[in-house]
Amino acid sequence: MEKRPESSFIHSIKVDDATCIGCVACMKVCPTKAIRLRGGKAHINYERCIDCGGCLRICPHHAVVPVTTSPSDLNRFKYRIALPSPVVYSQFGSTVMPNEILTILTEIGFDHVYDEALVCEMASIAIEEYLDENKSPRPIISSTCPVVVRLIQRLFPTLCKNILPLEPPREIAAKNLRSEVTREKKIAPDEIGIIDITPCSARMVSICHPETMEKSNLDGAIPIKDIYNKVMLRLKRSMPMVMMQSQTRISGIGIGWAIEGGEIRGLKYTNSVSVSGVLNTIRLLQDVESGRLKNIEYLECLICPDGCIGGPLTVENRFIAKSNVLRLIRHFGGKKRVNVDMVKKLYRENFFSFKWAVEPKSFPPLDKDRNVAILKLKQKEELLKRLPGTDCGVCGAPDCKTLAEDIVRGESKIENCIYIKKKPSSEMKNTGDKK
Amino acid sequence: MQPEALLQKEFAIQGGDFVNAGESSCMIRNTLREIGVDSDIVRRMAIAAYEAEMNVVMYALHGTMQISVYRDEILLTIADKGPGIQDIEMAMQPGFSTATEEMREMGFGAGMGLPNIKKNADVFNITSRVGNGTKLEIRIFLDGKKTRK
Repeated sequence: MEKRPESSFIHSIKVDDATCIGCVACMKVCPTKAIRLRGGKAHINYERCIDCGGCLRICPHHAVVPVTTSPSDLNRFKYRIALPSPVVYSQFGSTVMPNEILTILTEIGFDHVYDEALVCEMASIAIEEYLDENKSPRPIISSTCPVVVRLIQRLFPTLCKNILPLEPPREIAAKNLRSEVTREKKIAPDEIGIIDITPCSARMVSICHPETMEKSNLDGAIPIKDIYNKVMLRLKRSMPMVMMQSQTRISGIGIGWAIEGGEIRGLKYTNSVSVSGVLNTIRLLQDVESGRLKNIEYLECLICPDGCIGGPLTVENRFIAKSNVLRLIRHFGGKKRVNVDMVKKLYRENFFSFKWAVEPKSFPPLDKDRNVAILKLKQKEELLKRLPGTDCGVCGAPDCKTLAEDIVRGESKIENCIYIKKKPSSEMKNTGDKK
Repeated sequence: MQPEALLQKEFAIQGGDFVNAGESSCMIRNTLREIGVDSDIVRRMAIAAYEAEMNVVMYALHGTMQISVYRDEILLTIADKGPGIQDIEMAMQPGFSTATEEMREMGFGAGMGLPNIKKNADVFNITSRVGNGTKLEIRIFLDGKKTRK
């Protein structure tokens, strides 16, 4: 595999300064400590952000907003294709079937729609092929969740080589669709807009700035939230519909990818593990990095709780959504809908493969010069003894440890700590004797 | 004599405490990362530290783990009070283990601990006195001081 040209990250989350009231909610949940309060507003340090969407989910004032494709952006395409994540099927109640939703999508601005679940099923076969052919390293970690890929680049750089080097279903589906539509409808490839209907904003990052290829096969991502009302209205009017895609083409195996465990459910490698939620994922990856989990074959990590149905841009409560997915899995059964030999052939032709390997992008150390870094580490530990350890967040950093780190990096001052500011220097020791 | 370490940290390890096992090696990893040690060296040291920490937890009464960063190498020393090792040569054989059935049920005792430590170290030293304790010295070179054997 080739090496990716050097580049920085771009992001899918921003803070609306006009709405932000400067509370500590987002700063506290950020798993990579990327948020600080400066001048009463939250600031995202994009060098540290992995686009997990934790801040987006928790902000009580809706001041943290996703950067996604707006419906008006669609006008630049002659032929618009919706590629709904299987999560979409779980959002509209327990009786609505996938093909009804697919049909409605063609009535609200899309010329064509394609069931991503079918490609998820293809991906399951490709994963097995890869595990068959490559016996090390172990475990192989799923590349489906773009946040997990970033998390590994940032916090677990030595695990980059464990990432499954196959593109996720949404990319494969779009790649296939563009050539198919170009051929069948005689439309130029750049006039076709393939839009992901997405549960998270992180996919927008992998579309605008893919890590493992030059240009994404997708042209944008629209949040499930943004199409929800239109679809719901049409469903409620219950007009008789002409179905676009026949029910027999919907994949039960693929729909399962909407929830945690979907990727490993059908794998013949039964010594596989799935994990969801950002803290759970970090804990598990720590164990992998310590070499503790070499006996596991495949590791499915999804950043959102319970998997993609827990995405910050979904509408339905994730427990109801999960129940809906499980019902659909039962309904469609575990029958294979795709031609296994065809998928194996595509796999051998490298149709699924990454162009570039995922490169490590570790967080910078306290200083580039190791001697200085060691000095700063000692200073940081001294500072920590003086700070109260209450992690109140008033200083603008999420906790005392991070404030100490910011100070030695020259990004904050000890006077920002209200406990220290209040006390004359002789009493400072008293606030610091927590241990 | 070795020059004075640029950075030195010590951690206590409690024998039989499986609940907190792994914390010291995790802190060692974070520290090395903060001072900008190459990620592959961090990984090797973290694996060696974890295996050594687990050995103390599994077999010894208590122990200490000390990490010292020098200009051109990192030294990890683990010393424990415990039963010691009867036959070091045997203990170094992959697959050899004196772990009890309970430990094996918890997923430990595959007999890969010491061989794994040795594999990840540039220099590995082990001394042990039966009925007294065991001491390990693990060195990993920095900035390509010497090529790895």
